[in-house]
Amino acid sequence: MELENLLKKHFGYLSFKTGQKEAISAILNGQHTLAMLPTGTGKSLCYQLPGYVFDGSILIVSPLLSLMQDQVEQLGRLGEKRVVALNSFLSLEEKNYVLDRLQDYKFIFISPEMLQSSFILQKLRNLAISLFVVDEAHCISQWGYDFRPDYSKLGEIRKSLGCPLTLALTATATRKVRKDIIQSLGIEDAVKVESTIDRPNIAIWIEEIEGYQKKTDRVLELAAKLEKPGIIYFSSKKMAEQMALLLEEKNNCNASAYHGGLDQDTRILIQQQFIHNQLDVICATSAFGMGVNKENIRFIIHFHMPMQIESYLQEIGRAGRDGLASIAYLLYSPGDEQLPFQLAESELPSEQQIDWLFHELEIGHGIKGDALQFNQGTQERGGFSEVQWRLVENLLRKEAKEKSSLLDCKESIKEFVNERITMKKKNIYQMLQWILSNRCRREFLLNYFEEQVTSRIEQCCDICGIDEKNYSASHKLRKNHLGKIEWKEYLAGLLLNSELRE
Amino acid sequence: MEWVESVILYCLKKINNERTIYSVYHILKGKKSSQTIQDIHLYSLKRLFGVLEPLARDSFEEIIHCMRDNGWIIEQGEQKYLLSSSGEQRLKNIGIPIFLNGWRYHHVTTIFWERFSLLVQVVSNLINQESSYIPIQKNKKVLFWVKAVLKESHLSRSEIGEKLYEELNECFEDGKGIDPSMIVFRLTGFRQIGLTAQQASKKMNVNVYEYHLTFTNTLHYLIEKIETRGANFPILTHLLKGLELGDELTITARKTWKLLSQGYSIEMIAKNRNLKTSTIEDHLVEFALQIDRFSIDAFVDKELQLEILQIANQAATKQLKLIKEKVSRASYFQIRLVLAKYGDRQWN
Ligand SMILES: [Zn+2]
Repeated sequence: MELENLLKKHFGYLSFKTGQKEAISAILNGQHTLAMLPTGTGKSLCYQLPGYVFDGSILIVSPLLSLMQDQVEQLGRLGEKRVVALNSFLSLEEKNYVLDRLQDYKFIFISPEMLQSSFILQKLRNLAISLFVVDEAHCISQWGYDFRPDYSKLGEIRKSLGCPLTLALTATATRKVRKDIIQSLGIEDAVKVESTIDRPNIAIWIEEIEGYQKKTDRVLELAAKLEKPGIIYFSSKKMAEQMALLLEEKNNCNASAYHGGLDQDTRILIQQQFIHNQLDVICATSAFGMGVNKENIRFIIHFHMPMQIESYLQEIGRAGRDGLASIAYLLYSPGDEQLPFQLAESELPSEQQIDWLFHELEIGHGIKGDALQFNQGTQERGGFSEVQWRLVENLLRKEAKEKSSLLDCKESIKEFVNERITMKKKNIYQMLQWILSNRCRREFLLNYFEEQVTSRIEQCCDICGIDEKNYSASHKLRKNHLGKIEWKEYLAGLLLNSELRE
Repeated sequence: MEWVESVILYCLKKINNERTIYSVYHILKGKKSSQTIQDIHLYSLKRLFGVLEPLARDSFEEIIHCMRDNGWIIEQGEQKYLLSSSGEQRLKNIGIPIFLNGWRYHHVTTIFWERFSLLVQVVSNLINQESSYIPIQKNKKVLFWVKAVLKESHLSRSEIGEKLYEELNECFEDGKGIDPSMIVFRLTGFRQIGLTAQQASKKMNVNVYEYHLTFTNTLHYLIEKIETRGANFPILTHLLKGLELGDELTITARKTWKLLSQGYSIEMIAKNRNLKTSTIEDHLVEFALQIDRFSIDAFVDKELQLEILQIANQAATKQLKLIKEKVSRASYFQIRLVLAKYGDRQWN
């Protein structure tokens, strides 16, 4: 069957987006593929569609539980029932149930931690895997901004699964990172589908503003003026909350905050309200956006600078998926870079923490390969955050296998941490350099990914000049659609067919 | 904050200076310790158990200090307070939400809401022939439950929305003093997403805790209505199916009960279960509170029981220490048992 027919039959779309068809054709040809497709162009279709051609299962490694959940639900909504996610959310009972019936599932999502288990790996070995997918493949590379130690073992795992046909997916990866992905997975002959990271319908505007108060005022002004809906990104939960309140009070705008500190029910509701156009503006931390498929987002504002260019691109990439004109603002105050520097350091354990931990190990437990166990409370006593602890545990397990002495382990972990910090700092400097530069913003970004500017864009950036009128709100806000409605009317709206409503 | 304050005033009045404010806090938070469970029985505060689960400790302390500064309560030292006459008056004027029934419903409130909100969402999308939407509840058991209900109801797509609407309307219209909008605007349906708790509290112009209390009161009203008049509500009655209402023994206490019924002694049970004797004693106090047929005679002889009760009555107190001073031959455990068994009924 023609690819287009399959697309229509299973997904209801009439045509492919950039890069999708190339990637899918390569896979169906039996070629390993590395696909770098920009955010918002439906990367997941590249393994979903082959699922309906191949006989065996599609195994998808995904680093984020929330992302995995979104993808499972997305397939579910398309009517696909043979989907399962193997992650730490499953109870032992559920896990065993699933593992006994693996061959019944077409799409199996799995977290990298789960792949560490030899028991699960054994189960997977007995399975006919038609395609091995590595989502967010840039996590493999030490040069990537989001390196995950457990991702670096995927090459080995792939080998132990009998080197199945492989698809590596990423949205943003420099050439160096792409090279790393291919090497690490051992797919040297892979077909590379690399579409541009450029999103020509998103104009980029950077503004230097002195001080917090002026920045706040500017956001209020922008949010009033610009066509909505939009997202405003913050690095702090508290500021996201404050701004949402201000927007409601001063701008009479339907705004809500979204961040990891909210409970799950609230997060789902806010996401859905935004998708259904009940909210005009979301004030969010980077926790928001993953898996939000909303076509008509018209603006993104960065109140704080992101930690690296890759994250910036992912975040602004949520705008203008419908192809219409959209704009991304970044507001910068001198000294703003201090916050990302602090964040970078806080994500990694300090030298003192590592020394302390190894002292504990010396007096407490030795290192015995995989059986490395800490007393409960070690994490707390050492003051390790969740992120720090996960990293330390992973590193220790890896190092303990390779190194003979504790001292060696300690030194190589310290070395690793130092390298990571240097890297993160370099990324922040690069971001800063871009903000402070006088060159075309788009050109700089393209060059960062070793791409060249091919054609000039009418509405490009603050340096090249844009016409802000293009992005102005076309009509006045209607505040709170719930205004004066009575509960009875609301309930009737939900439960009665329109012809029954009075 | 009117009702939140009122509920706290009510608790302080009931415990009558015999407990600290933190006992009140634990009651409102729904702490499952034997001390708290005993307190709600002794001071007749069962209805308020767990009705302010989200209340943060510092917010609670702030409210207490605020009420003190307003002169509604008077400090008696060591985190203890009594109501002033203005506090009494205030409590009398405002009262407390009348449908709250924490001890009976607290443990099913969340699942009830999950079922209820999901049922409405599913039905609403069903009648609009929409099959592609994000369920607002992620709890798998609730998702299975809703599927089963739809199958069982044997109603057509066109009927089910109408019927559910009628039942809810009837339910709500009967409720004097409740405001259905507290719940209704939180509901999600076809292309209409409900408000979050925070958004709803803003819409109603009340503080989040006040909103939570009102929301809970309305849910408890609904549960009670369905529980007592289920036959009138063929669809809504499913919301309570399979849920255990009423007094709950903690799971660990259940195991103790089993062994006790088989004739094991306290020490043997403690050894068998690898628990402290004091823990098993806590369980026994729980039984004395909750299980009518549980006799305490084997642990406190009749004579001593009478003595303890008389002292407690004379001193009009439920403070163990005061009673113990006067009946020195009784252990604290024995006093607790007697108060648990007879305390409640005697004073109320
Ligand atoms: Zn430009």
